[in-house]
Amino acid sequence: MYKRLNESVREKVTLTPEDTELIHHYFIPKKLRKRQYLLNAGDVCQYIAFVEKGLLRSFSIDDKAGEHVIQFAMEGWWASDMSSFLSGDDALYNIEALEDSELLLLTKSALEELLERVPKMERYFRLLMQNNIVALQRRVTSSQSDTAEEKYVKLIDAYPDFIHRSSQHDVASYLGITPETLSRIRRQLATRK
Amino acid sequence: MRACPAIALYNKTATTMAFKQSIAIIGADESIGSALAKSLSKANYRLILVAKDQGESDILKSALLHDGAKAEIETASCAREACWEADIIIMATPYETEREVIEKIKEVAVGKVVISISTPSARPYRSLEPSQDTSAAEELQKLLPYSKVVKTFNTVFAKNFIASMISSKNGETFIAGNNNDALETVSRLVLSVGFIPIVVGDLSVSRRLETLHFS
Repeated sequence: MYKRLNESVREKVTLTPEDTELIHHYFIPKKLRKRQYLLNAGDVCQYIAFVEKGLLRSFSIDDKAGEHVIQFAMEGWWASDMSSFLSGDDALYNIEALEDSELLLLTKSALEELLERVPKMERYFRLLMQNNIVALQRRVTSSQSDTAEEKYVKLIDAYPDFIHRSSQHDVASYLGITPETLSRIRRQLATRK
Repeated sequence: MRACPAIALYNKTATTMAFKQSIAIIGADESIGSALAKSLSKANYRLILVAKDQGESDILKSALLHDGAKAEIETASCAREACWEADIIIMATPYETEREVIEKIKEVAVGKVVISISTPSARPYRSLEPSQDTSAAEELQKLLPYSKVVKTFNTVFAKNFIASMISSKNGETFIAGNNNDALETVSRLVLSVGFIPIVVGDLSVSRRLETLHFS
């Protein structure tokens, strides 16, 4: 039940076997069925979620009921509405399971207790946040200056299996392009091979 | 016994919970379990029913849907799966069979609210003076050290749930637990089934609650 979490932690910090076992007790194991929501926009985000198994999407809905996918989270990734989680304000994002998923949830108080009890986890979360900031910077730059095709190619190069697990609509939304544009890009790329 | 009304908890600005909490009812075919399922089915929850077997759960689900349930109703063939999906767990199995269930759900109940409603049947009727140094709820807490056990509903018999649903008069039910967030969650649940929650103290007060019997 904690295989991916242990791997994720081990990549960044070295914990004793006792501490590895101990951190498990701070997480709430939660199973979501496909299409179930972890978070509704407008509620307060109670958790940061680690994905042991499955796939989540985080998305906002604009005034014209258009959906905008901000992030996907697959095995070994984290998902949350960070602003809401940290401030207690209403969440902007919805978080939905795209597949049956097994999550490990951390509440704010559990996170604080965990960091106090196992101080090495401060490093783990710092490194996570650093990587996240870098990824977000790159994504903003890509959004501003890459062509639609370049954005798509970067995505499938980084996560080749991911495309098969999500809908064309969601991938297009994430890339900030229309499904029709995405479809055209895929045809063109397939033709060139 | 001094009681502190929990009504004030609901006068503060609560976080909106458009999100439906999932409640696993373990022992949904027991008398109090099925009465709770019936009451909770009228509220904004997602219920996961676990009975002796899948067949029983399916019959219960059909009956609840037929009665016009507002809640989403699911069934699960095993307690572990139900509790893994749940945010709140209600232990409605008899006290004598609780241990067996706890072994199955222990891992997936970490961090979750677990409601103890059992009154050990081995105990004869007692006076209102507490005479023991533990309770079913506290024993449950020891077996689930990372869960948030809350004692409630054990002073209410199944028929009172039904009565509460059809009459406009709200009965009271006592709540005891060690964790404030869990007490708040359970108070909300108690209100949603038409009872007035009275928080009476920490889990040790269960020793007294479990000796109270109302007809």
